[in-house]
Amino acid sequence: MKAIEAKNITHHYGKITAVDDLSFTVGEGELFGFIGPDGAGKTTLFRIAATLIIPSGGRMTLFGLNVVSGFRELRNHIGYMPGRFSLYQDLTVEENLRFYATIFGTTIKENYYLIEPIYRQIEPFKKRRAGQLSGGMKQKLALSCALIHKPRVLILDEPTTGVDAVSRTEFWEMLEGLKEEGITIIVSTPYMDEALRCDRIALMQQGRLMGIDTPAAIRSAYGRKLWSVSHPERYRLLLALRKMPQVAASEPFGDSVHMTLHEGAIPEDVRRMLDEAGIHDAAINEATPGIEDVFLELMKKEVRRSEV
Amino acid sequence: MRKLIFLLRKEFRQIRRNPFMIRAIIGVPILQMLILVPAVTFEVKRIDLAVIDSDRSQASRELVSKLTGSSFFVVTAIPGSIREAESMLFSGDADMALVIPSDFSEGLSGVTRPRLQVLVDAVNATSAQLSWSYLVSVVRDFNREVVLNKGMVTAASPGGIIASPGGMAMSSGSLPGLSVSPRYWYNPTLNYKYYMLPGVLVILITAIGLMMSGLNLVREKESGTIEQINVTPVMKWELIASKVIPFFIIGLIDLALGLSIGWVAFNIPFEGSLLLFFACAAIFLVAVLGVALFFSTMASTQQQFLFVAFFFVMIFILMSGIFTPTESMPLWAQQFNWVNPVAYLMRINRMVMLKGSGFQDIAADMGMLAMLAVAFLALAIWAYRKRA
Repeated sequence: MKAIEAKNITHHYGKITAVDDLSFTVGEGELFGFIGPDGAGKTTLFRIAATLIIPSGGRMTLFGLNVVSGFRELRNHIGYMPGRFSLYQDLTVEENLRFYATIFGTTIKENYYLIEPIYRQIEPFKKRRAGQLSGGMKQKLALSCALIHKPRVLILDEPTTGVDAVSRTEFWEMLEGLKEEGITIIVSTPYMDEALRCDRIALMQQGRLMGIDTPAAIRSAYGRKLWSVSHPERYRLLLALRKMPQVAASEPFGDSVHMTLHEGAIPEDVRRMLDEAGIHDAAINEATPGIEDVFLELMKKEVRRSEV
Repeated sequence: MRKLIFLLRKEFRQIRRNPFMIRAIIGVPILQMLILVPAVTFEVKRIDLAVIDSDRSQASRELVSKLTGSSFFVVTAIPGSIREAESMLFSGDADMALVIPSDFSEGLSGVTRPRLQVLVDAVNATSAQLSWSYLVSVVRDFNREVVLNKGMVTAASPGGIIASPGGMAMSSGSLPGLSVSPRYWYNPTLNYKYYMLPGVLVILITAIGLMMSGLNLVREKESGTIEQINVTPVMKWELIASKVIPFFIIGLIDLALGLSIGWVAFNIPFEGSLLLFFACAAIFLVAVLGVALFFSTMASTQQQFLFVAFFFVMIFILMSGIFTPTESMPLWAQQFNWVNPVAYLMRINRMVMLKGSGFQDIAADMGMLAMLAVAFLALAIWAYRKRA
């Protein structure tokens, strides 16, 4: 049985279509990522999966249970972490955890093994009110509370937004640990680097899915060779590249500029033309496409298609 | 059911931890009782009187001293002309001006019918009427004494004086020989506090029940915690019950606190049954909590809720008959009061506390209140289901 099956899921808010005809499946025990910019519809999709809103169209099942008709049973098996911290700020760490354990009819002790690697880090502060925790600690507490009833599926809506880099890395390590416990995880993130840690990712844009595959497959599906051009004067470089007829696309990427060339053009042509433009000694190397590159390309295709 | 207990435990823990809540629960009854009960009164205790005595006779001085002899009238000015008196009324230096004509004492001996003129500042219609009637009763007494002293016990007493407000002639029309002595029931000393206090108790539990519970629920929405609760197996009724029960209890505690203050500070009489009193308050609280819940389903922020709740609480209270009897309101207002829970409890409280009414006397009001409670709660649950 698939952990999550979605068929033609659509959701409108008035005239706005937040989620547009999405179909996908997530296997049991999979760590599945939804990547997309703000407003792509990730939160709406997750709220549908968490039985919080009824989709305008289509159907979604979690472990064979429909999110609309079977919501009551499903809620025993879902761990949901909304994008915004939603625990009781005026209760302590321990009180929050105990509260969620008891309303799921369990105890902290019973499932302690599951949350231990996470909870251990905030346990020294268990008498502290949740509102006084740092961002990273809040996130760990929220994950602990979402896990305390041993859910079969974890729904994490942008869990690492606004969290420092170290906590983000730690968090993803925890998710990998949970995967080993057999918990299916769907997670959304605006950070491309986090996508690499997922088993599979879905790229989302304006409510639609632009592709679903493993991170490696998505990167290799990148049609053309990708070149990285670097020069201290990056802005001039970018402007020069964008004027060249041979260059199909150029996007700033970290310290360098990523570009693709039209059919038949070679990097030597670019170097020569840069010299002519007064940009000397630019380094041009072949680059491995990242998720960003794929994403930006897909986004452009999408825009072009909608313009036609 | 077990989940409800955990929810309630959480709710009480949060209330206990919120310093504002604790202060409000204890402070609101104390302040409301000690401020509203003595402050809100229609009694007119002091009337600043301007006297123009054109007669300057013994009789006119007697009338004035009879007025100042009552505890209400204080002669604050003796203007030279009516124009001057008018400007005193305008500036607020006097509440009332009494013009004694120059033929006053002559009239008393039966030659003419002297006419007193009274000018009253009637911006506040109620106090103007009260002042007027105080004056009339003093004049009437004076009149009777004059008549009796002269031994004229005939019905058409030529020596009577006529007091006319604002120049409008009005006979003081008391028949000498017949005297009316009123005896006031249920509040023999006409103590306004006794009338207000049962009403202030209603305001108290309305404020506590409606504002606090609604704010509490909206706060969960505002902070997003309700999202997390909604993904758990907690049922809607359990969540609603966990929000209603604490404020139901707090409302009753505050009512007891308010009543105790009434006893200690104002020595308020309590004629009826305490049990009946609290039973009615309990029914009322359910109705008010239903209203609060209904508003909170519509509001997404505490501000929105406060605005809507404040608006309706004002209307409920002002129309409930706390200041003015509902019977003297226009028909549509009386019809509105059919669905105004505050109006029912206002009436019940006064009947039980002051008259000692029993269950049978208030059964109809209690029944209506119970129906409203069921209706409001059902409406709130229906609205809540629809939204979530």
